[in-house]
Amino acid sequence: MGHKILCIEDNPDNMTLLKRVLESRGYTLVEARNGLDGVAKAETEDVKLVLLDINLPDIDGYEVAHRLRSSANPNVSTIPIIAITANALKGDAEKALSAGCNLYMSKPINLQELWARVETLVSPKK
Amino acid sequence: MSAHTLSFSTRLNRDSNTVSFLSNLECSGCNTKFSHKQVHTFCPLCQSPLVARYNLDALRQKVDRDQFSRRPKGMWRWHELLPVLNPENQVTLGEGDTALLSLPRIGSSLGLLNLYVKEESSNPTGSFKARGLASAISKAKELGIKKVIIPTAGNAGGAMAAYAARAGLRAHIFMPKDTPFANIEESRISGAEVVLVDGLISEAAGLSGEKARTEGWFDLSTFKEPYRMEGKKVMGLELAEAFDWELPDVIVYPTGGGTGLVGMWKAFDELATLGWLNSPKRPRMVAVQADGCAPVVKAFEEKASFCDFWLGAHTIASGLRVPKSFADHLILHDIYESNGIAIAVSDEAILEAQSELATQEGIFAAPEGAATLTAVKELVKTGWIQPEEKVVLFNTGSGLKYLNYHSAPPAPTLAGNDPSFPH
Repeated sequence: MGHKILCIEDNPDNMTLLKRVLESRGYTLVEARNGLDGVAKAETEDVKLVLLDINLPDIDGYEVAHRLRSSANPNVSTIPIIAITANALKGDAEKALSAGCNLYMSKPINLQELWARVETLVSPKK
Repeated sequence: MSAHTLSFSTRLNRDSNTVSFLSNLECSGCNTKFSHKQVHTFCPLCQSPLVARYNLDALRQKVDRDQFSRRPKGMWRWHELLPVLNPENQVTLGEGDTALLSLPRIGSSLGLLNLYVKEESSNPTGSFKARGLASAISKAKELGIKKVIIPTAGNAGGAMAAYAARAGLRAHIFMPKDTPFANIEESRISGAEVVLVDGLISEAAGLSGEKARTEGWFDLSTFKEPYRMEGKKVMGLELAEAFDWELPDVIVYPTGGGTGLVGMWKAFDELATLGWLNSPKRPRMVAVQADGCAPVVKAFEEKASFCDFWLGAHTIASGLRVPKSFADHLILHDIYESNGIAIAVSDEAILEAQSELATQEGIFAAPEGAATLTAVKELVKTGWIQPEEKVVLFNTGSGLKYLNYHSAPPAPTLAGNDPSFPH
């Protein structure tokens, strides 16, 4: 199995799309449908990257990023995070980066780009 | 039907029975092919822009290169290389065939022997956006689309509103609240529903995209449908024809969304495949951006394939205030392939160049167009452009749309009977 990537995303269509593209490249997708579940899975699963939707049903993506960066576990606090938004609002990108995300992308995400970004943020597969 | 349209249609029948040689759409990312007879936005598989493809072998056999120059002026004289199948769906306001003007005084001052500007401000609605929207609205009409939506930094909104009105389509426009006043009002007077957004075009795109998804508006965002690029492509066809089927050495293009740059490079590819170019030499493409929003320049300098989202974008050249183009990888690919360059210029230098173009050459350029002159000055200084090279700047729009950026003191006013004025 390849590295695990945690996808925190409440939209099932987007989750399916990301699962298809990342698993076809040899990664294993860990799914979380809300922010709190995402934070919990980041702490318990050995994930190498987080794809983080900003608009989530419970805590928003900024809060998720903040909690991950505040983790006592150095593997979690330093994990690369790509923030993803659907309805980009003024300052979203700045807020995402200041919350600790490494990168900001707005939907629709070009999957060729996502793949290239994942490759640069995740070390070679085991 | 206007006299222009009537003579054009008559000529169409004589030239060829095939109006367009459009064959299919192709994803620019994964190369998957799609039917052009169905409505498409971007690739559903990898979410990259779709590109129109033509049966160029059949076109070459049926159409002679020199036929185009004998047709009535305008963008649609290139109809075989445009996507509209039925000429009745060609929505025109007289776009295309803009002037290619030499810049003798400025060229001389820079030591350039062959400096030109493609003067796109003479397009309907005063900008190059007319070309892309004429093509996209025409194809939307052909595909039975009734209502269209667009996020815009300014000129695309005005153009879409006008062409949608001409085609009888409903238009909805999202634009930053500080978009030039002329762009807002030209959109409204053409009947478009205009929403001002507290943010940049990226935020406007998010909101208009959501409205498109929830209410069924067709999204004409840059590169999120395949046909705006086809209209912009004609700028490249016109240049090839104007330079007697050889291409200039350098094309300097203000780059926001990048449709024109990518479209022209596509035009050169198609002309080469058709065997219509007299020389294999291609221009070096220069993407010009503003210091306050230069994602392509940053990516180019890093030799990257994609742009990072540009934070805090700001520039008086509203058309360049695009934090990240949906087709950034295509822009960068074409710059690299052409051995071109990306360069950022300051707002102060843009205003100086705008004044210089007006006072030295009589051209009141949009800030985006003036930015290209600033870039040329830099590239001459560094030796990247040589004196004998044929260099084409693009003035993408009229400076008249940006009057709110000018803070010159008012002209003096005299009373009719002012005694100090000699009668």
